[in-house]
Amino acid sequence: MIVRHLELVDFRNYAAATFDLHPGITAVVGRNGQGKTNLAEALGYLATTDSFRGAPDDAVIRVGTDEAVVRATVVDGEREQLIELSLSRHGRNRVQVNRQRLQRARDLLGALRVTVFSPDDLAVVKEGPGVRRTFLDRTLTDLAVKYDALRLELDRVVRQRNTLLKQLAGRLDDADTSTLDVWDERLATVGDRFGVARGTLVERLAPMVAEAYAQLAGIGTPVELRYDPPWRDGGLLAALGAARADDVRRATTTVGPHRDELELSVNGMPARLQASQGEQRTLALALRLAAHRLVTERTGSAPVLVLDDVLSELDQQRCTALLHHLPPGQVVITTAGVLPDAAHPDAVLHIAAGAVAG
Amino acid sequence: MAAVYTAPVQALIDELGRLPGIGLKSAQRIAFHLLKLPAADVHRLSAAINDAKARVRFCQRCFNVADGEWCPICLDERRDTRVLCVVEESRDIVALERTGEFRGRYHVLLGAMSPLEGIGPEDLKMKELFARLEPEGVTEVILCTNPNTEGEVTALYIARMLRPFGIRVTRIASGLPVGGDLEYADELTLGRALEGRREFATDPAAP
Ligand SMILES: [Zn+2]
Repeated sequence: MIVRHLELVDFRNYAAATFDLHPGITAVVGRNGQGKTNLAEALGYLATTDSFRGAPDDAVIRVGTDEAVVRATVVDGEREQLIELSLSRHGRNRVQVNRQRLQRARDLLGALRVTVFSPDDLAVVKEGPGVRRTFLDRTLTDLAVKYDALRLELDRVVRQRNTLLKQLAGRLDDADTSTLDVWDERLATVGDRFGVARGTLVERLAPMVAEAYAQLAGIGTPVELRYDPPWRDGGLLAALGAARADDVRRATTTVGPHRDELELSVNGMPARLQASQGEQRTLALALRLAAHRLVTERTGSAPVLVLDDVLSELDQQRCTALLHHLPPGQVVITTAGVLPDAAHPDAVLHIAAGAVAG
Repeated sequence: MAAVYTAPVQALIDELGRLPGIGLKSAQRIAFHLLKLPAADVHRLSAAINDAKARVRFCQRCFNVADGEWCPICLDERRDTRVLCVVEESRDIVALERTGEFRGRYHVLLGAMSPLEGIGPEDLKMKELFARLEPEGVTEVILCTNPNTEGEVTALYIARMLRPFGIRVTRIASGLPVGGDLEYADELTLGRALEGRREFATDPAAP
């Protein structure tokens, strides 16, 4: 996939700006605070309809205005599409493909896939299990949009079940039991499907992460991914049954995919607690790179790859290794400093104060 | 959150925000739209709401909207009483009638199970449904609740409750947009979904 042309209106610090991106490597250079990451964020918005920085919609609409627009011409093989997302402070967000309005913002998913590497990726290794679940689930959505519907359904069932558990206030009579039974059955159906999807994904991803890690680190290091939630052996329905008394007492759903962990290890040690800073950073990059390659392989078209300010965080060896192993496809590199020699950009855009400086 | 609007405006926004499918942003937009309208237009809207509320009743048998005691479908002698189609709302009947595929009767639950909205089985017309089965000689119940979380769970619940009755229980076929409302499905899709309905078995291992 290639974004040929990107247009921003009242998005972050851009009042109105257009960018012509090269099908190869485009370097976006500018001092901090000029709008480089905002550009990366805008591309991400078209892919996921939200901010990879976790910002609410309100925060990306330019101060003093009511609506932000991100518009792009996307080329995927023979097909060229004009996609557009409008974020509104007061009304509903709107999405359009070829000037046809889509019913829901989510219908835009799949029109553009973007892989963003950002310094925040370190969180996938260092922070709690929720960040790793999000990494897996976003990758699933990139592989097939139906997984986003499954994720939303899981969220909904868990929220409904937790609300029911709170309403029970620790007591369960016969009528409540019948009600809880059907919520369990639904959660089990959705959860088992989700568990299979995540399990298959991790199985495919694991060797690719090990390979990417070796390429980036320059040495073969045992890297493992393990997704093995205890509920999967006997199925979620049985696990919910076993946890019921506990769930009723604590008024929350204590078992299921919303509590899963993806365990990462380097040299047989848990990466989160026992790996060095350098190993953690390499692993974070390897996870992104492997997911990008898997999505490219399974969908037959490479997502647009955005390296947002990550090169400055890497030592020269890893930086060169990353650039050397960039998969074929469109790449956008943002940087505040000098581009490393190995970058070889096809085009350079200079950004200053929310405008392209030629 | 601190009060941004004066009390009457805030009250209006709160009331609108409680309507289905209306979020905070939409509630604000509608509220300010209403405030800009001429007084006569606002009165016509509130009169229409009051009038409908005062005059429209629910059918005593199936809880479809009705002018009198029974709705037109329950009054129609030619309808097959052996097949009963269970829906969430009256508007779903309109969608299903447009397909022309169904000649039985309906039962409207007046909602779906949703703890988030404080709706449990006892808040829906479930007991009334079970009470109809024997007197009307029902042999098949088609569960046509929406293909979303709440609709699926409601269908599961009814299917379990129907087990002791030993009647055929079917679920409208998938192929409908997941997470959607029946209301938005086109006639062709809905007609096919009805025709392709399947036996609906809940997990026999489940309690
Ligand atoms: Zn009736």
